[in-house]
Amino acid sequence: MGWNDELLDRLAAQVPCGYHPNGPASSEPTALAALALSAANRPATAAIDWLAALQQPDGSIGPTETQSQPGACWPTGWAVLAALAVGRGAGRREFDVPRAVNWILQTAGDPTAGIDESLKTSTLVGSAWVTGTYSWVEPTAIHMLALKAAGFGSHPRTRHAEAMLIDRLLAGGGCNYGNTVVLGQELRPHVQPTGLAMMALAGQASSDRRIARSLDYLTANLLAETTSASLAYGLMGLAAHDRFPADGRNWLQAAYRRTISRDGAAYKLALLSLAALGTNGPLITLPARQIGARGEGRGARD
Amino acid sequence: MTNKAQFPVADSRIAASNSPNKFDRRALLVGGGTVLAGLCAYPMIRRLFGPKASVFIARGQRYDGPLEQTIRDGLLASGVLPDAMKGKRVLLKPNLVEPSRKVPQMTTNPAMLLAAAEVFRKWGASVVVGEGPGHVRDTEMAVVESGVQAALDAAGLEFADLNYEEVVWVPNKGGVSSLKGFYFPRSIAEADLVVSMPKLKTHHWVGFTASMKNLYGTLPGIAYGWPKNVLHYAGIPQTVFDINATLTKTVAIVDGIVCMEGDGPIMGSPKRLGLVLVGGNLTAMDATVARIMGLEPDRVSYLSLAADRLGPIADGRIEQRGEAWRPLVSPFKILNVPHLRDLTNDPGVLISHACRPSSLSVHGVA
Repeated sequence: MGWNDELLDRLAAQVPCGYHPNGPASSEPTALAALALSAANRPATAAIDWLAALQQPDGSIGPTETQSQPGACWPTGWAVLAALAVGRGAGRREFDVPRAVNWILQTAGDPTAGIDESLKTSTLVGSAWVTGTYSWVEPTAIHMLALKAAGFGSHPRTRHAEAMLIDRLLAGGGCNYGNTVVLGQELRPHVQPTGLAMMALAGQASSDRRIARSLDYLTANLLAETTSASLAYGLMGLAAHDRFPADGRNWLQAAYRRTISRDGAAYKLALLSLAALGTNGPLITLPARQIGARGEGRGARD
Repeated sequence: MTNKAQFPVADSRIAASNSPNKFDRRALLVGGGTVLAGLCAYPMIRRLFGPKASVFIARGQRYDGPLEQTIRDGLLASGVLPDAMKGKRVLLKPNLVEPSRKVPQMTTNPAMLLAAAEVFRKWGASVVVGEGPGHVRDTEMAVVESGVQAALDAAGLEFADLNYEEVVWVPNKGGVSSLKGFYFPRSIAEADLVVSMPKLKTHHWVGFTASMKNLYGTLPGIAYGWPKNVLHYAGIPQTVFDINATLTKTVAIVDGIVCMEGDGPIMGSPKRLGLVLVGGNLTAMDATVARIMGLEPDRVSYLSLAADRLGPIADGRIEQRGEAWRPLVSPFKILNVPHLRDLTNDPGVLISHACRPSSLSVHGVA
């Protein structure tokens, strides 16, 4: 049995999944597990059933069963992707994809901000972690992937999200949670948000040089020792642009061994499995398929 | 989920519990149990009769020095009763906001955590290290990059990822911000004592960050975001106040050995002070830290709010244990921006970044 098969066995046993073994079942890990299991032709209906049960009347989904911070529905995009991957009629309950997509389309980061007016220089709108707060990189990338996969790649919200993500790329490449220059000082990039942003920007028409620099940043900063979540997102970011490194699967296997030696967290297992699929992973093929269906080719890059 | 904060500290909080509009910190329950009334509504009475608080300062400290002894001395000087720690659950809360091996001045040094853990363990407490990094979602990366993981492994200490745990909603005891309450992670709710262990740094929005602002990291990112924008929207000084008013089973152990000045809390430069500070009242602690940094405590927004409500900031009402603070003053460089200039009486410490032609591109607060 290969390491990924062993991983999937462990993952399937934890559905619905959490971030840590003793933590609560949570939307993001469960959705990612559904994606990983379905990509391996393994049953994922239990995960979809759980997500469907959490879905709120407006179509959104919160992080856990009990956490109901108003508007903290950033995992909604992951649930959309999982439901699209697993397919309709696969479980006892249906996750309402159109309603969830409509929520994403209707909900955006607050461009006005509740902070010092003089500090705002950009009104580009993406998605927020919590409704009514500012747009940040990762929720924007998650929802952009979902919109593309659901056939909304050309929708203005997706275009705005693309513009916002590119705006948040650092001049030298890469991005962080979503600030670039603060009080005159350029901030540092991080692997995980850069990877997610690159996944979301795959196949888009922009030729902004920062995209290529961001890919270079990932290539230079992904190592065998890179921690699991960052490694997985970084590799998926590269895979989305056909730059999956030759050692990538070896690094993922090593990360898997480290993960099971510590806590075997389902969240990390799901990410590692998805990354191991390289360019065939559902987080790359689902958004790309919808773009292709609408006749939008990959843009020129330098 | 109830956890009575039975942390008998022989200090001024006992006096506070006898004041009008009682706020009995010993009985504060973070979780589903009894949650008592809010703050004292008579600041003038507190100013006249209010209790003193103590801050212990040790100088000449090194990360490879006898930190365990220093921290033990500090906790004893702050009124901690070792016998009372037996069987208690202690959570050490460092600042790991956005670790990088190249920037050790940004995060709490692991040596501080190990030393504090040993003190409490030898007193019979169970100890866990917990943090909810505010800028990075990959907590494993933060713990590894900061060097904390290696230290935890060597000492057999567990880590609680505060960003992703089961949460408990607790009403806001401060009432200054618009937030009705807070989601605290299970590890915070179940701890008998939360030890705020910040890195002493400047902060480009509020002036500096120490033991009070460090408690931002007790709130989970899955509820508040990365950064915890919900708190910024409700006002940084206001939410610092409210979190500290709500989570009161705290003491502070400040890493002031190698600090950060300039454009803190992320992009500043190292500044060696060689200090370790310990105290049972976080407001008094931060006021003392501000003075050492060359800042005026009453001009720092969240300290001004907290003054005489969460603790004293007036020098005359803070007992100095160990070293006196005046000889230790070493003014920190701070950014020359309008909202920070007035925090210091010394314009010589104001520094500027070279601005980019595209001007300031700030997308929200962090």
